[in-house]
Amino acid sequence: METPQPNSRRNKLIGLIVAVVLLGLFVYSVQDWHQIWKIVSAPDNVPIVAMLFLVPFFTWLGVKQARANDNLIGELEGDAKLAKTHHRKVEPWRPGWAKELHVWPYLVRIEFLAAVIVTVVLYVWSITLNAPLEEPANPNLTMNPSKAPWYFLGLQEMLVYFDPWIAGVVMPSIIMVGLMVFPYVDSNPLGNGYYTLRQRRFAVNMFGWGFLMWILLIVIGTFIRGPGWIWFWPGETWDHSAVVFDRNRDLHEILGMTPANFAGHPRLLPWVVGIFGFLVVSAFFFAGGLFFHWLMRRGPLRFIYLVSPKRLWAWAKTPDPFELKLLANTSILQYMTFQFFAVSVLLAMPVKLFLRLVFTIKYVWVTPWFNV
Amino acid sequence: MAETPEPIESLVKKEAEPQRDPIVSRSTSAILLICTLLLMFSAGWALYDEGFGQRPWRGMQQQFTKRYVAYLKSIRKDAGKSEAEVKETPEYQQLDEEAKTALDMVKTDLAEKDRRVRQIQAKLDAVTEPFQNQRGKIVVITYKLETSHGGFWQRRFQSQLDAKKKEQVAVDLPAEGDGKPARQKMDFAQLEQTFNELRDQKAKVLGEKAELLKEPTELAKKRDEYLKNHVSLLPQKSIDDLIRKNEDSFDYTILGHQINVNQFGIVDRCEICHLGTRESLTIKASDMAPGGPGKKPDDLANAFVSHPRKELLQIHNPEKFGCSACHGGNGRATTSVVKAHGQNPFWLHPLFHKENAEAGCQMCHANDRVTQGADTLNLGKDLFYQRGCVGCHRMEAFDREGDALTNARQMISQLQEQIGANERQAKQDTDASANAGDDTEVQRLLAHADSLRVTNSQLAARIDELNLQTRYLQQDQKKVGPNLKDVRLKLRKEWIPAWLKDPQAFRPGTKMPTFWRFTEDGEEGAEDLKAVAAYLWQQSFDGKVPAQQQGDKNHGKELFESRGCLACHSIGEDDNKMGGTFAANLTKVGEKDNYDYIVRWIYNPRERWAPYCPKEHRDLTPEDYSKHGLPFLFDTELHSKCPNDGAELQVQNMTVMPNLRLSEQDARDIATYLFSLSSPTPGADLSFMDDPKLVEDGKAEIKQYGCAGCHEIKGFEEEQRIGKELTTEGATPLERLDFALITQDAEYGRDPLKLHPKDKEQEWYNHRGFFEHKLAEPKIYDTGKSRYLEPKDRLRMPKPFLTEEWRTSLTTLLLGSLGAEGANVPAALFYSPPDQRRQDIQNGWWVIKKYNCMGCHVLQPGQRVSVYNNSAEPTMISGAGLYSLPFYSGLKEFLPPQLTSEGARVDPDWLMKFLKDPSLMQAGEKPAQPSSSSAAPAASPSSSPASVGARPAASANDQSGGRLISQPGANRNGVRPYLQVHMPTFNFSPNELRVLVRFFMAVSSQNDPYIKDPMDPMTESEKSIARNIFVSGTPCLKCHITGEPAHDAKAIAPNFLLASQRLKPEWTFRWLLDPAQIAPGTAMPTGLFKKDQDRWVVNLPNPPSDVSSYHGDHARLLVRYMFLMTPDEQRRLLSASPAAPPAAATQPQTSPKTGRNYGTPTSRGSDRVDLAKRARRKAGLRTLAQLRHAHRIARKQLIDSSKQY
Repeated sequence: METPQPNSRRNKLIGLIVAVVLLGLFVYSVQDWHQIWKIVSAPDNVPIVAMLFLVPFFTWLGVKQARANDNLIGELEGDAKLAKTHHRKVEPWRPGWAKELHVWPYLVRIEFLAAVIVTVVLYVWSITLNAPLEEPANPNLTMNPSKAPWYFLGLQEMLVYFDPWIAGVVMPSIIMVGLMVFPYVDSNPLGNGYYTLRQRRFAVNMFGWGFLMWILLIVIGTFIRGPGWIWFWPGETWDHSAVVFDRNRDLHEILGMTPANFAGHPRLLPWVVGIFGFLVVSAFFFAGGLFFHWLMRRGPLRFIYLVSPKRLWAWAKTPDPFELKLLANTSILQYMTFQFFAVSVLLAMPVKLFLRLVFTIKYVWVTPWFNV
Repeated sequence: MAETPEPIESLVKKEAEPQRDPIVSRSTSAILLICTLLLMFSAGWALYDEGFGQRPWRGMQQQFTKRYVAYLKSIRKDAGKSEAEVKETPEYQQLDEEAKTALDMVKTDLAEKDRRVRQIQAKLDAVTEPFQNQRGKIVVITYKLETSHGGFWQRRFQSQLDAKKKEQVAVDLPAEGDGKPARQKMDFAQLEQTFNELRDQKAKVLGEKAELLKEPTELAKKRDEYLKNHVSLLPQKSIDDLIRKNEDSFDYTILGHQINVNQFGIVDRCEICHLGTRESLTIKASDMAPGGPGKKPDDLANAFVSHPRKELLQIHNPEKFGCSACHGGNGRATTSVVKAHGQNPFWLHPLFHKENAEAGCQMCHANDRVTQGADTLNLGKDLFYQRGCVGCHRMEAFDREGDALTNARQMISQLQEQIGANERQAKQDTDASANAGDDTEVQRLLAHADSLRVTNSQLAARIDELNLQTRYLQQDQKKVGPNLKDVRLKLRKEWIPAWLKDPQAFRPGTKMPTFWRFTEDGEEGAEDLKAVAAYLWQQSFDGKVPAQQQGDKNHGKELFESRGCLACHSIGEDDNKMGGTFAANLTKVGEKDNYDYIVRWIYNPRERWAPYCPKEHRDLTPEDYSKHGLPFLFDTELHSKCPNDGAELQVQNMTVMPNLRLSEQDARDIATYLFSLSSPTPGADLSFMDDPKLVEDGKAEIKQYGCAGCHEIKGFEEEQRIGKELTTEGATPLERLDFALITQDAEYGRDPLKLHPKDKEQEWYNHRGFFEHKLAEPKIYDTGKSRYLEPKDRLRMPKPFLTEEWRTSLTTLLLGSLGAEGANVPAALFYSPPDQRRQDIQNGWWVIKKYNCMGCHVLQPGQRVSVYNNSAEPTMISGAGLYSLPFYSGLKEFLPPQLTSEGARVDPDWLMKFLKDPSLMQAGEKPAQPSSSSAAPAASPSSSPASVGARPAASANDQSGGRLISQPGANRNGVRPYLQVHMPTFNFSPNELRVLVRFFMAVSSQNDPYIKDPMDPMTESEKSIARNIFVSGTPCLKCHITGEPAHDAKAIAPNFLLASQRLKPEWTFRWLLDPAQIAPGTAMPTGLFKKDQDRWVVNLPNPPSDVSSYHGDHARLLVRYMFLMTPDEQRRLLSASPAAPPAAATQPQTSPKTGRNYGTPTSRGSDRVDLAKRARRKAGLRTLAQLRHAHRIARKQLIDSSKQY
């Protein structure tokens, strides 16, 4: 283990500078603080504002614990004797410490404390913020923007990228089934009951990625989407009469598969479009599969690789022996199941988001029954 | 990875010095303590919040009871004092004495009765229980018997029943007096009989007691009522009750003050804070001041006051309507003021702002033209119509004629198609019948063809009727602005562009709004303006109006001020404006108009230059008529059809300005006067006005601005409105009201217009804010973007002239215009009177407001109208518009009559006739003609009196050779010739006549139809008695006109000869008894009769002997006499009248036959004109002074004489 001190200090400094610069840019670019305040102070949005702080905090906490465990795991791997003694995963065992801790009172009292604190928070929250009830519903007139409760905002935001059938039914089902299936496609026996990155690098990263994406969609839905579900950067006024240019086309249209070009064979067009879309999506799945296959055999990605192409290349080329071992333990069924869920959610979502927002591509695969 | 040996070393080191386990050794007590304290604190907070935080009204209720009790205590003393004072009065003493005596008189009897009742009751008590027990048992056995089967059980129960009925029960009946109770044995039949007897006895005695008490009770009630009516506050006892209620048993719950109307789902809890709303005492804010009554009130004190208009709550019972139905707000919310008032962002019905409170009335009364008691709203509706909002914006109720006309025209074309189809079918059937072999088939076909033909004749009749309707509707359809087809005839060329540029600069306060883009768009705007002016100039009738000589300006001024022009028009500039706001200010007429045209206009404003055919979409020319061999003749009565296609023509100018039936010379005089007030200023280069290239542009601009909404413009006759429909504008969701780039300013309360400078900067991102700002500065929502927009995308609304009050009124109207969907009130509660009477009233108001009848007449008590009263801005005065004029100050008798009880006064048939032609010209009577117009061609004999004068054939484009058409009924009033103000001829269509007559009848609750009772003929002796009454005391003919010009010169009341046709006998009877009660301020003296038992006798100190010996009702006799009056009788009276008028030698002579023409000189020689006028004016003044003097003496006599009795 290299000494972390100087590096850590430098990293902190860099982090601080980056944070200050970003904050400065944000403050500089805000036109309408009132708007921000209105969004942030809405009782509806309290959980999301809290989430903005809680998610990084708990992520940090988890990573911190995982780092400590990883260190310990490193130590234990080098010392057979020590490995036989008990350890508490978070900190290395030290002489004088109890070798076993009882649930009562040591765990229960912490849980009790947590219960008390949560109760206090709930009390204060429920007293100070009433349920944001609105006017009696008028079916002829919906409010604008009309937003789902915060926990559904991710789903609502997904509607922008997929057709309602995919975004509303297929994707959520895949996500839920995927979450249920993952324990069974996991062939790694390590890392149960304690925090670790080292032993479950790929699993943690994949979950983290998916979770982050979900949070991101919610945040976009809350803070970015204004009247007309138009994209307003934070600090922009949510103007009901705002005008945007938003031309969305399907991929095949960009590539010239338009009725104009198929004037002679109008019946042919849907077939061509359908088959084209199928090929693109198949290619995507194939490429995505290859990508995940490559990714799951990589070792840890360090910051330094990002500034040193040579080392990055080396990392990209060399598989990690530990991960290879894990892969070898995985059955083909487990592997394929994972690949399916990973490509169709973890990869497809950001790719589609990117295509939609940056290239204004509406659908890739258009069929009479569904659009992707 | 960490494969270095260092970790081991460190471990070894650590083993040497054992450490305390961080988990086992760490104490969590401190943090646990803090958290527990926090938990307890927040639990306490939660309890407080539940009890008080979420129930802020509890504190308010406590405040209320505290302050209210303090107030009650403060008035208790006064109440006691005033109560004591009333008790001191002899009236009260007497009543009290009477009540006490009556009670004393029956006292002994009462005691006896009470004793009897007690005795009977004792017996009844004794017998009741055994009787009820027995009865119960018997009922049970009977039931068993009825439901038992088998002979054994039936026999058994039967025997039981018999035994029970015979069973002897011991009853201890108390003896009469104080003797010991006697035990008796009774069977069931005896028991029942005894019980019933005793009960009857008791009822009888109680009845006798009530009879005894009747008189004392009534007297006591009378006394208490006297006390109640004479104590200014509540009686002390009631105040004590109130104090007790508020101190001890005040209901501190929501349910105790909640209004719940299940039927309409209304739940209103407003009164849990507004506790004083329905208190019997009238609570003022200062009464509830925190520092005690009379101190400075705070917000809470303002919330505790009584409803400011309790009479409204009588009609709109809160137990039925709730509060939020009218006021808006969220009736269920109780947690905060903001929520209860619905001023949170999402509530659809926020509380109406105080000054717009009457918007609540509009929700249910949207179809009413006038809502009683809602002055602001009514003013808003007046303005919406008068100021021409209606020209661009549809609002449902305001579109009666237009909608009906469109419907009628559609119906006609549908029916015509139907007729065509029927004809074809009939022909087919007939043809088919020729080929049909079967006899029955032939008959069937022919019968069908026949029935189709009959149907067609029915349809044709329906079309005729619709055509008639079309004619009437066209006659009633008016435009807010003048007819711009007459521009060339009427206006000075150089004035048009100047006016278009800024009408408010030329004539401040005018109806014409400022089309600000003409100036704001710089070069482009100037071009647009030129194009519009050029279009109007070139697309106008070109021709010559008959040339007129100048008249007498001074006489014109006098006429202008006295004839009633100022009821609608105003005159004067800046701070000296006088007159009505209904029509234009006429000070600068001379600067804009052509004299000849104005004379023609004043003479008869309805006279159109050329008729318009809605079918051909063009104005007809003389050629159209000559083609068919017809004279160029059009009027509303006989010549209203198009010679080309038979469609109903628009034959009069679409103005509400009526025909004042002035003589030609008078019209000239008035015009001369108006033109003397200002003179034209020379204009700049006007060559563009004749540039044909501009016409296309102009047309586009006129279309863009919707000018045709208010004006008749050639090429735009069928143009639709350009504005948004406003029927449910108040219900538009807030985010659909386009605040555009100033949304933020509105939200943050930054007001560029500073409309409410007194208030703090407050948010105006709400409906009220939107409407107010739009009305005050229509372009405001283009702020920041108009530079980049194409003209067609920019806001078009011109800027109207509105005072602050007017703006508030219009805002109120818009806020309340919510429609059935948007209203807070269930549609079932909307005001739609089921009875014909109230519908008639509502229909009538539309016509009355349309023609501004309130300018001259008071139609309902407490009427308020908007006028200029020597001011720059209009003010509201009570009464009619003319009442504010200095000309009439002190001359109440010479104001047009009050019409508050017109329906009860007059015969509806007569009223219809009068409204059609107020000159009441007899059939065959020749119109009075000024001599100077004798050269004019006579009116077409076929045209009826009220028609617009028929026009002789002439060239439409050059009528300079022609003369003005003589007027029917010129220069006279039918009923009150002594009035200077002329009741003008309005050319009402039969539709409107009917609506008006029904209105007057309905307002006075008259029966419909009215059938006149025949009058008893009078005997000679009755006649002579009536004659005696007529001439003695205050002689009737002193004031009432007779038709003798000499006498009429100083008369100020209508002719008796009209009475039989015009008046209703019952009303006339009431009028004779007390005129001041019917028309306060009338010149007719009160107290002419006095009550003598059941009849009214003439109130004279020394009545003639035959009068005093007449035993019938004098007033009724007089009514009969009046209704049977003949001209001969009247002449006879006049000669007998002691107050024979001095011969008015200076009076101009009028034809004896039509002698009721007051003030119409028969000659107009230049010298004699002045002379006659001066003489008349002098005579008029003298007459007035004399009249007043005479009245004073007469009244004094009456009072004196009444004192003698």
